Amino acid sequence: MLRFIARRFFAMILTLWVIATLTFLLMHAIPGSPFNNLNGKVLSDAAVRNLETHYHIDKPLPIQYLIYLKSIATFTYGPSIKQPSQTVNDLLGRGFPVSFELGMWSLAVAVVSGVVLGIFAALKHNGFIDYLAMTIAVLGISIPNFVLATLLIQEFAVNLRLLPAGTWQGFAYMIMPVVALATGPMAIIARLIRSSMLEVLTQDYIRTAQAKGLSPFLIVTKHALKNALLPVVTVLGTLAASILTGTFVIEKIFAIPGMGKYFVDSINSRDYPVIMGTTMFYSALLIFMLFLVDIAYGWLDPRIKMGKEGD
Amino acid sequence: MKKLFSKVCLLGMTVLLVLAFSGCTAKPDSSSKKSDGKQVLKLNNGSEPTSFNPPIGFDAYSWNALNNLMEGLTRLGKDNSPHPAAASKWDVSPDGKTYTFHIRENAKWDNGDDLTAGDFEYAWKQLLNPKTASPAAFLGYLIKGGEAYNLNKGSADDVQVKAEDDKTLKVTLNAPQSYFLNMISNPAFFPVNKKVAEKDSKWYANAKTFVGNGPFKLASWKHDANMVFKKSSTYWDKKTVKLDEVDWAMVNDTNTEYQMYKTGELDVASVPPDLSDQLFKEGKVKVGQQAGTYFFSMNVKMKPFDNAKIRRAFALAVDNKKIVNYVVKQKNDPAYGFVSPGFKDPSGEDFRAHNGNLYKYDPKAAKKLLAEGMKEEGITKLPPVTLTYNTTDINKSIAETVQEMYKQNLGVSIKLANMEWNVYGVDQKRGKFQFSRGSFLADYGDPINFLENFITGMPMNSMQWSNKEYDRLLKEAKNEKDDTKRYALMYQAEKLLMKEMPLFPVYFYNQSELQSSKVKGIVRHPVGYMELKWATKSN
Repeated sequence: MLRFIARRFFAMILTLWVIATLTFLLMHAIPGSPFNNLNGKVLSDAAVRNLETHYHIDKPLPIQYLIYLKSIATFTYGPSIKQPSQTVNDLLGRGFPVSFELGMWSLAVAVVSGVVLGIFAALKHNGFIDYLAMTIAVLGISIPNFVLATLLIQEFAVNLRLLPAGTWQGFAYMIMPVVALATGPMAIIARLIRSSMLEVLTQDYIRTAQAKGLSPFLIVTKHALKNALLPVVTVLGTLAASILTGTFVIEKIFAIPGMGKYFVDSINSRDYPVIMGTTMFYSALLIFMLFLVDIAYGWLDPRIKMGKEGD
Repeated sequence: MKKLFSKVCLLGMTVLLVLAFSGCTAKPDSSSKKSDGKQVLKLNNGSEPTSFNPPIGFDAYSWNALNNLMEGLTRLGKDNSPHPAAASKWDVSPDGKTYTFHIRENAKWDNGDDLTAGDFEYAWKQLLNPKTASPAAFLGYLIKGGEAYNLNKGSADDVQVKAEDDKTLKVTLNAPQSYFLNMISNPAFFPVNKKVAEKDSKWYANAKTFVGNGPFKLASWKHDANMVFKKSSTYWDKKTVKLDEVDWAMVNDTNTEYQMYKTGELDVASVPPDLSDQLFKEGKVKVGQQAGTYFFSMNVKMKPFDNAKIRRAFALAVDNKKIVNYVVKQKNDPAYGFVSPGFKDPSGEDFRAHNGNLYKYDPKAAKKLLAEGMKEEGITKLPPVTLTYNTTDINKSIAETVQEMYKQNLGVSIKLANMEWNVYGVDQKRGKFQFSRGSFLADYGDPINFLENFITGMPMNSMQWSNKEYDRLLKEAKNEKDDTKRYALMYQAEKLLMKEMPLFPVYFYNQSELQSSKVKGIVRHPVGYMELKWATKSN
């Protein structure tokens, strides 16, 4: 196990280095400069030169690459170009907790409701509840979350005046974004649970459990579910990384100060330090989540062995 | 089996724990705060301010807010002209080049410090310091020694801004320019509390360390989320200020902003593009002047626009009125001159009214001019023409309309191309486009700010136009002390520009927003930033 972790850790560092290098090359390959058109103003060459010196962009690319690798290794990305009084660490430091909070709630809602929906659909296979649950799931997958978000705001904020339309100040402000964000993943999870449950329920050990006279509730929760969970755990790693680091559209619509916008805005404004900060952060988190998923596999199902042949 | 089940439970509990933990960071509900009859204005800043360091935040996101937290030597009044602010009065030397400002005895920083002339000297030299890398530094070039310092060719000591004593500031300009007083109302020229700044170089980054000298005090600033301004108790003119508090949200999505406006969570909102037609038609939109022009540039170094008659033909064939009424639909004024309305000459006449329409839509004349131009060039067929614009919905619609107008009025088919904003900006500045969309928003309140863009080699001069006579007129205007003569030179220059037509204007920008009927007195200058000093809100 330890050897496995050590090997995986080394591979993670290597992956991160490859991502860092690719990001660096790609971001300098995008045409355009962060300064030539600051907020619609055309800057003079003198002003651009001063700015380039200020952000070390006047140095040759290999030197910039070294500065860049050093900043990654030390986690100091320097000031953002678009918000010069903030460092990238400041931006991530205040954006991530908000995105994380929103993401955690959404993930919890998605997993719990998805699992419940999937179980009922599987148990009442081809019955009314199955069709109802799968209709909800198909709707959840096919309605984009920004459409759902806008509909929710219109109904619950503008028409019914039950919930605030936007910003991030407490529990009431979370309800709509969480629902909007959780619906899609919930639908995916429900469908996965349903199909794997259907498969598990026909297996011999379930029949054994039934023969022993266990209650249906115990059979489902204790015996069937944990095996049915494996495919969910597989998607959960990627899902968690993307939900936890914020979703641009939902955060924009609800005016949530998360980190989703930095991904998009930094590229649009060629904010190099922020591009690399967000990319590295997201990659590291994603790789870490996938690592957790691998560990969780072996934990949930001892038949999957780690660190031995083939891995 | 039992063991496995307990593992699942453990996993679930971990998730719950993390959730419970993260739930602790939930902030208290602020909307439940009662207003207690206080005047609390709720605005949206749209985004996190770039920076509250005066020379850095060169945009409306920073300066609309900062304009109410700080104050320069002058402040634009409701009449859009500069009035005494941090300076109670000033003397101008007979040659018009040297200004001596007397700073108000009771002008204070909101931490209680006295506002001194030294704070201005410090701030202005920061603006010009090449290490500050301020994008607004060029505004200070009219101060003697300013340009040299900013271009690394001079020193800070040679910049002619001197604090004679604590309350007297002496500034010498390169040339007498009456708009200097207007220009220093701009946030780039706000003072910086030297004592505070020298102790904490990031004083502007947080509410706790920020010090201002304006009508409002920065009470709290949650980055990327909201700001609260409270009426300042140290402001010299605090009895004029009626609002107790201004709450700024930072909502970036215009539809959400509109919905928050509908539910009363905001008092002022911008017009969402999707509902723009309807809201304008219903007359719910408040429209104000803005000094700026939407135009098209023709590169005189590229065929066929090296011929003045062909350029003129392309200008005369576009019906600006139609574009404004049926494409833009935001109550803009069509433009037939480059300088926008709102600048009065010494006789009190508006610049635009005096120079009038310098051309008009005339498809017949356009066709004739095109034929003549082609004859002069000895061609029977126009080389291909491509109109490039930066990608936005409105630019696209306008470009397509112009394309259609050329087909109908000139019988010419042009191609359209679009580009992402940053790439577009770089290529346009390098003069790579044959025919392209341009926009200009004034930085300070004088027609010369519009006209100086087309001096040979200026960054905005993407049409690569160079005219000795024009350069001479502008140079003279920039050195002319007598405003009547200065305006005469500028009138002449604009006429020349519109005769040679390296560009043709389409319309003048305006400012439009939705505003609650409870709110009165927010002043929005055609050039300048939002003023809340005179604003009121009834409950």
